Amino acid sequence: MTDPRTGLTRRRLLGTALGGAATMAALPTWAQTRTLNILSHAVHERVLGAGDADLLSAWKSDNGATLSFTTFDSNPLQDRLFREASLPATDYSVGYLIDNRPTSEIAALFEPLGPRNAADPIEDFADIAPGLIQGMTVDGNLIGIPVRHATQGLFYNEAMLEEAGITAPPETLEELIEQANRLTFTSASGTPVTGMVLASDLAVFPVMFARAFGGDFITADFRLVPDRGAMEQGLSALRSMFETGALPRSYATTRNDDMVSWIQQGRAAFTVLPFARHAQLNNPEQSNFPGRIKAIPFPGSASLPAGTPMSAVVEAWAMVIPRNATDKDLAWSYIREVSSKRVTLGMALNGNGPVRVSSYADPALIERNPVAEIEARVLATARGAFPPFPEAARAQATMLEEVQLAVLGRKSVADAVSAIIDRVGPLMPA
Amino acid sequence: MRIDRLLIGLGKGLAVAVLLAWSLVPIAFVVISSFKPGRDIFAVPPRHAFSPTLDHYAALWTRWGVFFDGLWNSLLITAGATALAVIASTCAGYVYSRNAGRLLNGSVLFLIVVRLIPPIVITLPLFPIVNLLGLNDTHLVLMVLYATFFVSLGTVLMRTFIDQIPRELDEAAQIDGAGRLTILRRIIVPLAAPGILAVAVFVVVFAWNEFLFAFIFTGTNAKTAPLVISEMIGSIDGVDWGILFAASTVQLAPVLLFVVFMNRFLVAGLTAGATKG
Amino acid sequence: MRTRKLTDLLPFIAPVHILILSVIVLPALYVAWLSLMQSTFGQAPSFVGFANFRRVLADPAFRSALWNTVVLVMVAVHLELVVGLLLALLFASGLPFRRVLLVCTLAPYAVSEVIAVVSWRYLFDPDAGPVTQLLLSLGLPVLDWSFEPMHAMILIALLTIWLHLPFTFIILYAARLAIPADLYEAARIDGARPWQAFRRVTLPLLGPAIVVALLFRYIFAFRIFSEVWLLTGGGPARTTEVVAVYLYREALPTTPLARHRQPHGSWFWRRCCWRWVMWRCCASR
Repeated sequence: MTDPRTGLTRRRLLGTALGGAATMAALPTWAQTRTLNILSHAVHERVLGAGDADLLSAWKSDNGATLSFTTFDSNPLQDRLFREASLPATDYSVGYLIDNRPTSEIAALFEPLGPRNAADPIEDFADIAPGLIQGMTVDGNLIGIPVRHATQGLFYNEAMLEEAGITAPPETLEELIEQANRLTFTSASGTPVTGMVLASDLAVFPVMFARAFGGDFITADFRLVPDRGAMEQGLSALRSMFETGALPRSYATTRNDDMVSWIQQGRAAFTVLPFARHAQLNNPEQSNFPGRIKAIPFPGSASLPAGTPMSAVVEAWAMVIPRNATDKDLAWSYIREVSSKRVTLGMALNGNGPVRVSSYADPALIERNPVAEIEARVLATARGAFPPFPEAARAQATMLEEVQLAVLGRKSVADAVSAIIDRVGPLMPA
Repeated sequence: MRIDRLLIGLGKGLAVAVLLAWSLVPIAFVVISSFKPGRDIFAVPPRHAFSPTLDHYAALWTRWGVFFDGLWNSLLITAGATALAVIASTCAGYVYSRNAGRLLNGSVLFLIVVRLIPPIVITLPLFPIVNLLGLNDTHLVLMVLYATFFVSLGTVLMRTFIDQIPRELDEAAQIDGAGRLTILRRIIVPLAAPGILAVAVFVVVFAWNEFLFAFIFTGTNAKTAPLVISEMIGSIDGVDWGILFAASTVQLAPVLLFVVFMNRFLVAGLTAGATKG
Repeated sequence: MRTRKLTDLLPFIAPVHILILSVIVLPALYVAWLSLMQSTFGQAPSFVGFANFRRVLADPAFRSALWNTVVLVMVAVHLELVVGLLLALLFASGLPFRRVLLVCTLAPYAVSEVIAVVSWRYLFDPDAGPVTQLLLSLGLPVLDWSFEPMHAMILIALLTIWLHLPFTFIILYAARLAIPADLYEAARIDGARPWQAFRRVTLPLLGPAIVVALLFRYIFAFRIFSEVWLLTGGGPARTTEVVAVYLYREALPTTPLARHRQPHGSWFWRRCCWRWVMWRCCASR
């Protein structure tokens, strides 16, 4: 579909002809180069840098290639990616995929990358976090190369802890709850503070609370609520915080962005967010507490035997090649370059969560990102909120509904956990 | 009598005050926030005194240049869709108003029933077809889609409005030897101006803010402003509310300008209505 | 003669019908046929009749969503009609600064739903929102919409009205402007009081416009999605879910997780036929 001389696709040509003079003006710039069309989120393009700071400038001139990013927000992006990959041929040779999407059916839409990596390997492949590689291996095929991750940590407002006379951040979940209760007060500046703010529309938080007691929602090997007692303890903890006002009354309609602005405004003392949000929470232009928002690993319960690791939730992005892509060789060359140590570190310095263990040891990154070392530690034991399976979305929605009922006190915790087991059970893969 | 008038004036004043508060407070929040320093936007308790800043607009210009390309695309698509929908609806509305018949009445009903179909449904089969025709990511496909989704309402509305124009006027013109097209242009269009403008407002607002079709059928060339705004909101490294509100304010302005502009013609239509019959 | 007349008229109505047939009707018929099929990617579809529909109708969550939708549509659309009519009459009765006021009245219509929700969520924040604070300082009850389902429904209805009142208003106002002034003149000379003029002149002449406005608002309002999805997400605990939100949840098992911040509705048949359609259209090419 692409004319090799001009890099023009039929779609573009027609689009331009029909679309009017505005797009015509852009035509000559496409001439004489190979264009790699990439379907991604705007963030993925941004972390690669631009102009003089373009991390890929050498690769582009070596390959005589230009990159054309089409960007969307996460969910529309995934939708579009699957749609393009289902066509007989697509102009997009590289796509960015979230690790909780690839069921067997979806994975079949993408090129297995194992053989390509064997023939033309990625630099020091073993350096890439094995857990993330595992997440991109479906039915024995490696279908994506991890490129970015977001690992959840516990953020706290140091200034508020000081105001309430708390000297050290919590080391156990029990301490966290106790401190959150003490931090439910009206601060000196007149702002009513709730101890902790959590969104109610993501499985991340109930899952982290269950894991803090050694339980889980759905394990990697598809066991549903493997430890009922732990799940009940986790939900009871959330429920008790809501009762004392340490979770906001608006819990049932709180979402991700609210958590960020509540912390920035000093409306809450604790929250759970990806470590990568550290910069935003401390950004002096947005935050009333620049430099005072700190992050630590989310603590496990004191009741856990010593040494039991607390698995935080991680979400990762990977680069994939649609099976029906037109320029797979160039795509793989791009993926190799982006996965190199140099570019991974460069992206990390631009705010990307690096997928290589070695990047975290780099002095420049440690200086730039004060939570790098903690994040690396948490990443070592982190795993997804639950594995991908066809009914995952419905399973999550069902679980969240029951969690809300329990936290708001419309249902007992035990009944809610029973309902989760009964209702999610039939949705599990055989 | 005088007290009566005073009371009516007071009542009207009160109604206008309530109306203004109701309509404008939520919008004022967005517009004012776009000039507030980021950390003051969601402050609790709210900070009403702040030093206004244009930082967010500057940041929008430098960091989200693609937004302005999106505005241009939206403008082209909105103009095309509105022209198409208004012309098609006025022609059809005229015919439906001036002619009766079982077939014609049935087809009006059909136009309404068709609108019961949820728009998402047609995207399923349309995506591969649009791709096959090579129309994906063009302005044209969105113009046609947006116009189509408002010709039903447009036609039915235009029929209602043209019904109010006395038939004697076009009969007189017909005797003078004017054809259908001439009658439509010279008599119907000027007299039905309020209706035409109402239809235009609907299409403009819909095409300007539409997300779903734009997301499915565009990529880079014809990407519209609402798509770029959705990227700002969904940004996985955090929402910068100041920039978002700046973008929303910029996006709101052209539509309001259009309404101001339209208002002129609405008044013209009113006077035309007064002299007729 | 008759056919002759019809062919005469055809060029005028053809554009509308060609658009509708090719863009809406044909694709929709295709999808309707598919919705009766059970199929997955790469498999030939088999006819399952109305089983897909029966499964949905039997779900109590669907019935509760349907009830919520009906209540919202009935309340919001009729309130819009009454308020829109009053506004149209207020404007027609002569107001100072009418141009400015008209722009202000129509302004909410130009605001995208996403932005409107951000603004409303802040204003009505149950702890600290300015509107909540105002109500509290006046000693009035506040909307505890993130906890009480009933209050959440009220807020959703208010937001819907805010967004769509301009739609009803502009139809009625334009129709009111099209009523010749001499009719009122005649009524006045006949000694009609304002109320009688309204009953005898305004209402009958506005009748068709009211029907059109109501009809299309019913149709659009029944699809209510963004207001609910973005404001409450159907919560607390799915108590404010409407039909479109229900279908959206049930329809997308393969593209899971997180909340779309954008209106992005979907129907359940998408699930059973989406990939099949792709495959089919592509394979036959």
